[in-house]
Amino acid sequence: MRNPSSLKQEFLKKWIKGLQICSATKKKMSIMERRKAIKVSADIAMASTRKSTTYWSHALMANASKDDTNKIIIENILGNDDDNSKRIIFKKASMGISMSQKRIVRSKKIVRNSCKISRRARKISPSTIAKKLVKKRTQVLKSLVPGGEYMDDASLIKETLDYIISLRVQVDVMRHLANNASHEINDPKTSS
Amino acid sequence: MSNRRSRQPSSGSSRISDDKIIELVSKLQQFLPEIQTRCSGKASASKVLQETCNYIRSLNREVNDLSDRLSQLLSTIDTDSPEAAIIRSLMM
Repeated sequence: MRNPSSLKQEFLKKWIKGLQICSATKKKMSIMERRKAIKVSADIAMASTRKSTTYWSHALMANASKDDTNKIIIENILGNDDDNSKRIIFKKASMGISMSQKRIVRSKKIVRNSCKISRRARKISPSTIAKKLVKKRTQVLKSLVPGGEYMDDASLIKETLDYIISLRVQVDVMRHLANNASHEINDPKTSS
Repeated sequence: MSNRRSRQPSSGSSRISDDKIIELVSKLQQFLPEIQTRCSGKASASKVLQETCNYIRSLNREVNDLSDRLSQLLSTIDTDSPEAAIIRSLMM
């Protein structure tokens, strides 16, 4: 388990780097563009603290790299790390669509087969309802975690935990910054 | 961590097993004291999953709100502006 404050520092460094790249590529931004740049840099920074060790971070960066500006940010932030992970991320972005189509075909067949079975034995017991509920909620979770649709249940749980921890780091750093910045800007201390 | 293509049929792993749930609950309770499980022994799988999903959604919402706030606070994310200097000094 990594030290949370070192995670925060790494996230902060990479986030600032991403913001610098954004401002270098586009000098004057509207508030919407700025907001998007802040969020995207934060997401990429969060994902890159995990580098290649988790699936969700890979999926997040693969999704982000579909946009060209983000590609530059990713390349820069991963700059010192191995080129293999970069290649895999960009390759995944282009592959993403074909994988999901295969999955849809396979799961349609399974749904069709299981419908045939359930028509024969229509016993609605509480355990069946519970199972259905679990299945439904698992689907929701899969849609929330980046890359979740491609995971099996065991790794989904591990990835969820890691994703939640990283999200908390992201939220903590951003909140800290927003609170302190608003204090400073509203009543500035004339120190420096 | 290159291409992961699980050979298991999805119907086999479509349910999370009970001991995985216990593992998830204990880990979540370790890291996230905010998640309330009334009777931790009897926390049902669907309840845990629901709480997890809600928590992730609220974290995502908070990130979006914070990005909004920050984009208003920083009139520019140019790192040479005076506000950026203030922020940098706060973070050192």
